Parts: sequence; C-alpha cells; structure tokens
Amino acid sequence: MNLDFSNDEKEFRKSIRQWMKENVPDDIRRCTARGAMPDKNMQQRWERLLGSQGWLTSTWPEQFGGPGWSATQRYIFDQERASAGAPPTSPFGVAMVGPVLYTFGSEAQKERWLPGIQRGETLWCQGYSEPNAGSDLASLKTRATRNGDHYLVNGQKIWTTQAHWADMMFCLVRTDSTVKQQQGISFLLIDMKTPGLEVRPIYSIDGHHHLNEVYFTDVKVPVENLVGQEGMGWTIAKFLLTHERTTIAGVADIHYEINRLKSAIDALPTETDKQLAVRRLAGLEVDLMALEYTNFRTVAATDEGKPFGPESSGLKIKGTELQQRVSQAMVEIGGLMSLPWDNEEPIGEQIFNQASRRYNFLRACTIYGGSNEIQKNVLAKMLLGL
Amino acid sequence: MDFKLPENTTMIADTARRYLKDNYSFDSYIAQLNESNHLEANRWQAMNDLGWFGLPFAESVGGYGGSLLDVCAIVQELGAALCLDPFVDLIVSPGKLLEFANTPTSLALLDRIISGEARVACGLYDRHAGYHVLNPSLRLNGERLSGQKHVVSDGGVADAVLVSAMSGDELAIVALPFDACDVERYRLLDGSRAASLTLDDVLITDEMVLCRGDAAKQAVSAWFDYLCALDCARMYGACREVYQATLEYARTRKQFGTTIGSFQVIQHYLVDAFIDLQQLESMLLMVSVKGESANVCERGRATAAAKAYYANRAVGITQQGIQIHGGVGVTEELNIGHYFRLVTHASLSHGDREHHMSRFIQAGEKQNEVV
Ligand SMILES: Cc1cc2nc3c(=O)[nH]c(=O)nc-3n(C[C@H](O)[C@H](O)[C@H](O)COP(=O)(O)OP(=O)(O)OC[C@H]3O[C@@H](n4cnc5c(N)ncnc54)[C@H](O)[C@@H]3O)c2cc1C
Repeated sequence: MNLDFSNDEKEFRKSIRQWMKENVPDDIRRCTARGAMPDKNMQQRWERLLGSQGWLTSTWPEQFGGPGWSATQRYIFDQERASAGAPPTSPFGVAMVGPVLYTFGSEAQKERWLPGIQRGETLWCQGYSEPNAGSDLASLKTRATRNGDHYLVNGQKIWTTQAHWADMMFCLVRTDSTVKQQQGISFLLIDMKTPGLEVRPIYSIDGHHHLNEVYFTDVKVPVENLVGQEGMGWTIAKFLLTHERTTIAGVADIHYEINRLKSAIDALPTETDKQLAVRRLAGLEVDLMALEYTNFRTVAATDEGKPFGPESSGLKIKGTELQQRVSQAMVEIGGLMSLPWDNEEPIGEQIFNQASRRYNFLRACTIYGGSNEIQKNVLAKMLLGL
Repeated sequence: MDFKLPENTTMIADTARRYLKDNYSFDSYIAQLNESNHLEANRWQAMNDLGWFGLPFAESVGGYGGSLLDVCAIVQELGAALCLDPFVDLIVSPGKLLEFANTPTSLALLDRIISGEARVACGLYDRHAGYHVLNPSLRLNGERLSGQKHVVSDGGVADAVLVSAMSGDELAIVALPFDACDVERYRLLDGSRAASLTLDDVLITDEMVLCRGDAAKQAVSAWFDYLCALDCARMYGACREVYQATLEYARTRKQFGTTIGSFQVIQHYLVDAFIDLQQLESMLLMVSVKGESANVCERGRATAAAKAYYANRAVGITQQGIQIHGGVGVTEELNIGHYFRLVTHASLSHGDREHHMSRFIQAGEKQNEVV
C-alpha cells in the first residue's frame, strides 16, 4: 500500500494550483467565498475559461476531446478548483448529456453537440422529473408522437434546474404506451427556443430561482434529435446513474466549506463559543476524512481499470448528508449572525450572512439525483442478496 | 403530579386556534412576509380585544394575571399558523422585561404596552456578546450610550427600544427612542422584521435608565428564561403542523403505483416523528411551568434543557418533513419549508444548542452546591 500521491501527481497539483491562482476571476472567487451561488454570467464565464484549456470535459475520453487525465489527476484538479474558490461546473452538459452522446449518439449528433459542451458554450438542462414521476421516473407521461420528420411533444416537466438559462434540454419522453413502462421511453434533445415550450419559475426556500416547470404544447422536435433508438431512453438514463462516481461525494467542496467556517471562528463572541465550534468542526473533519479515503479507493480502482466496488456505494449518501451537516453547523455556529435574511450589511462575519440560505437549499441534496431513500433501495437490491 | 391543563389555559388555546383559523392563513402569511410593516391594524386590534395584551402580566401591574403556560398556549398556535403578527416582539418580550424590572418608570411604560399605545422592542443582543445577555457590548459612560445592537425584533414598527448596556461592570437597562440611533431594518430567517441599531454617544437622561446592577441582571435573566420557553412553544406548534401535513402527504402521494406511506422506511420516519413530538410536548409542559419558577437555578436548568432538546429534535422533525415531501418540500409555495425556517430560527434565537448545553452544565453544578 502507498497512500501518498506520486511525484508526478504532486507536480500536476502544483501546476493546477498556479493556474487557478492566476485565472479564477475575482468576482467569482468572492461570490463563492460569500457562500452564494454564481449567476448565469459567472457560471458561463468560468466554464468557458475551463473550456478554453480543454479542462471542462476532463472526465471525457481523449478521443472525444478529454485531456487524458487519470482519475487521480481529475480528483486533484477538483480539489484545487474548489480550494481556489471556483464553483463546480454544471453537470448537465459535461457529466450527463455529453457522455450519453459519445456513447449512444450518431456521428452527426456528436459533431453537432459535443464541441459546444466542450467549450462551455451550450448550456443544457435535464428534463426527467414530472409532477407524478419523481422517484418513480419510469411512470413519466410527457408524450412524443412521431409525425413525419419530427416528433410532437406534449406534457410537463418539473424541477428542471437552470431551464431558464439553458439553450437545450435532454428529455425523457414516452414514445410508446403499449409496451412495458420502461421500454416505451425515448431520449430526445430539445431546443429551448422551440415554439410551444414554456418555462415557469419555481422559487426554492433559499429565496432564489434555480428550478422551473417546463410545459410542452405541440413542441416540434426534429427526428434527428432522437438519441439511440426509440425505446432506449431508460437504458440511457440508467447508464448515467452508474457513470463517473469519482467526484460525486463532493469531498472537495465540503473541504472548502469547512475551511470557510474555520476562518470565521475568530468572530465568535467568547473563548468558550470558539472552543465548542472548533470541536464541532473537528467532528465534521473526521467524518470527511472517512469519506475522502473511501473516495480515494474508488479513484485508485478507476485508475486500475477496475469497476466500482461496494466501497463506492455510499459516496452519494454520505456526501450529501455531510454537506447538509456542514451547512447546518455553519448556521448554528453563526447563531445570531445567521438570522438576518436580506440585510445589506452583514452582521459580523460575512460568511454567516448567506449561511442560512445555503442551509435551506442544501435540504434538497438528499432529494435530487435520486433521493437517499431510493439510493438505499437500489443498494439493498444490488449488495445484500436478501 | 398532574399534567391536566387548567381549564382556563385550554380555553385560551382553543380561542387562539379558532381566532387564527378564521383570521390568518398561509396566504396572509405570504402577504405579510412581503411587507416591511408587520403590524396589521385589524388583527392587532383583534388580539387586543381578545385580551392578549394584558394576559402575560400580573394583575398587580395592570395585567390579567396569565401564567407562562397560558402565554405558551397562544404562542404555540401562532407558531402553528406561521403567524408573523409581532405579539411576542412588541407585547410579551418588552412587557415582561418591564415587569421584571419593576420600577415606577418601567411599570408606567408597561401600562402603555398593555393598552396598545406603545411600540417598544427589546434590544438585548449584539453580535459581540452573542447569547451572553448579561454582558452586552453596549457601553454606558456617564450619560453617553455607545455601541451596537443587532437582531432587534420589532415587527418593523417599533419607535422605542429597551437596551441593555454595561456601565462599568454593572448591567443597566435603558429605554430610548429609535430616533436616537442609526437604524438598519431587515427581514430575519423566519420572515419577521428586525433592526440593527448603532448608537454613537447618545445622550440619555436619568429617567431613561430603568434599572441597574443586580436588579437589571435578575430582570434580564428572568426575561431570557421566559423567552426561551416561548421559543419552545412556537417550535412545538410548528412541528405539530409539519407532522400532520407530512402524515397526510404520505397518505396521498403516490409513486410506484402506491402511496409513499406504504413504504416501510417512510413509516419508520413518521413513527420517529410521532415519538419525538410526544417528547417535545413533554418538554414544553415542563418548561411552561418551570420556566417561571421562583427557584432561579431550577428555572435556568429547565429552559436550558428544553432549548437544547428542541434545537435537536424540533429541527429534526422539520428536516424530515421536507425529505418526505421530496422536491415540493423545498419550494416557497409549500408551507413545510417555511416551518423549517421558523423552527431553525427559533432554535437560534435566545441561545443555540451549544449555549444551552453549557448553561445546563452550569445549572447542574450550582444545584449540587445547594444540595
Ligand atoms: C433542487 C432540486 C433540483 C432538481 N433538479 C432536477 C433536474 O434538473 N431535472 C430533473 O429531471 N429533476 C430534478 N429534480 C427532481 C428530483 O430528481 C426529484 O425531486 C426526485 O427524484 C424525487 O421525486 P419527487 O420530488 O417527486 O419525490 P417523491 O418521489 O414523491 O418522493 C417523496 C418521498 O418519498 C420517498 N420515496 C419515494 N419512493 C420510495 C420508495 N420506493 N421507498 C422509499 N421511499 C420512497 C422519497 O425518498 C421521498 O422522501 C430536482 C429536485 C430538486 C429538489
């Protein structure tokens, strides 16, 4: 066993750190340091910057334009990205529809869509969930009816993150209601500017607009925007669930949050308050270390070309729980300083000023991307042999 | 022991519940959330008519002699209704401080609160002192008052404030007009309104100092315990609603062709919430009585335990309520997330969990000394 990074990896870290130092824009760094989420402009500027280095799609195979990094290098990159105060990239293009396209897409589709994702130019959103198809995604009802050289899409999606920013949506639709639920689903790419498509905002309990409802009334989608064959939608969706698990735990960003919290301890009123906070933080750091070493095992296995083992199963569950606990600790440690909601001048330490909004939003992280209950159902089936 | 509520308390609770059901809804709450003035004239008058303004105070000082238990009954219903009417911030909180201060000037001001004329807030917190209310950072040097007050809950409308200050190493309570300070107003986590006050060598007169020294300490400490109990009542009311709404949701929300309440893990979550709610109720009954005990040590130990417990389990119930609701649980449109914010807020006003754990340990040590 060797639990240290190699010299090459250390050199790699150094060069990335230097680049981050010189290139993460100040306004973005300040936004993350405040605990706020980047707006569209910041998000896109950052992704284009990474795109110009060829680093935005660092998880992609070289043949499709990835930089050819090992999983360890990708992990290091993510750590350096987070600790430099840069936001995570939006998952929809890079981590979701991109891999779907280079795995299932036609040559024409690859040519048409991959470059825009690579350069951070096309923004995507994910149209899976519906009002009555959340955890039970296979029961989705949005219908696509073939009509000559196009489909007509009718129905409704909900909880569509960043639909109001996106140029394109990848969407699960029902193309056949005569077969078993899972077999009648197809994967369509839909231009957000198509007539008949309407985006309505949903405000979440952090007071912000991230989520949307998307309504489709006779939305015309060209047949060439079907990925794979009709009826392959479910297979594609399942492929995504098992794709790229090496940064799913969010370790790098949790580190960043814990460090932010550490830097604010001095603002607490008394020595006792400080000591209690330090102790609580230590508890979180110990838990983070357990998560991180589990994550390292997944990374190392990936570099050896081995499939994900059972050690990777808990990464999403433990990662999201820990994100929530850290955000809760931030609010509670801030105490009075966390109570103001819309004041212009923060009361005392600035990080506590946004802490309660973040805490509110992160209640969602055990719900989206497959709730933790559903994750456990899946794992029980996969692992326990009961 | 007897856990039966006095008949009068039950009546007060029923009246409060009925009044709020008829006069306050989630829509009223949302409308109020978007206002910076939280004093809605009709409802304010209605509360006055119900006798709530005098209820918290002894008959000897012009009140109607209600107990902490009675006031908790009202505050519980306000919490259940998500009601933002500043009953606690403008009546109970300043009124109790004035009653505990018990000087001719303070009682004269209390009179004007009971009659509904005065708009007085309490400014006992600042970020430098945090929850340590007996050691505020505001300084009274001779006739000059300097420093800051934060999170002064005032419904957005107070024109006077009771502040605590250190005069040398003596605590003092001073009443002064809002005008004397630089004021920044904002919304808090639970949707209520508050202000930060900056005092820059504000000149004060002798009559404005309500009390000093031990008398001030005792008043602030009794006030703190009283308000801790009210926090618990408010959280209990909110948790009761979250539990009911979540149970109802589990009965009706369908996924995989069946109600989510048919999944065993959801049933276990709900049983845990049910059990927690029972224990929260026990703690509320305990603190509603002991929170105004004449035995200061017992009183402090009771409020510390209750607040520490609530900060853990009441918050837990609302978090789980969101989880069981899925996506809709994190939206502004549904009340569940608003209850979560209310409970989080109440768990952090008047001391967070760690603060109360420390108080609990100290109270235990003192109790041993007495024995
Ligand atoms: C912030 C946020 C962003 C999102 N972004 C997107 C997006 O961009 N695109 C998109 O398509 N979707 C998105 N979603 C939707 C998300 O995937 C769904 O919310 C999620 O799948 C849960 O579905 P639901 O909300 O309908 O809850 P439900 O499925 O109704 O679940 C309610 C509760 O029941 C539990 N439950 C359900 N079934 C079972 C079972 N069999 N056993 C045990 N427990 C069960 C759940 O765990 C949950 O606690 C987002 C959601 C949120 C909150």
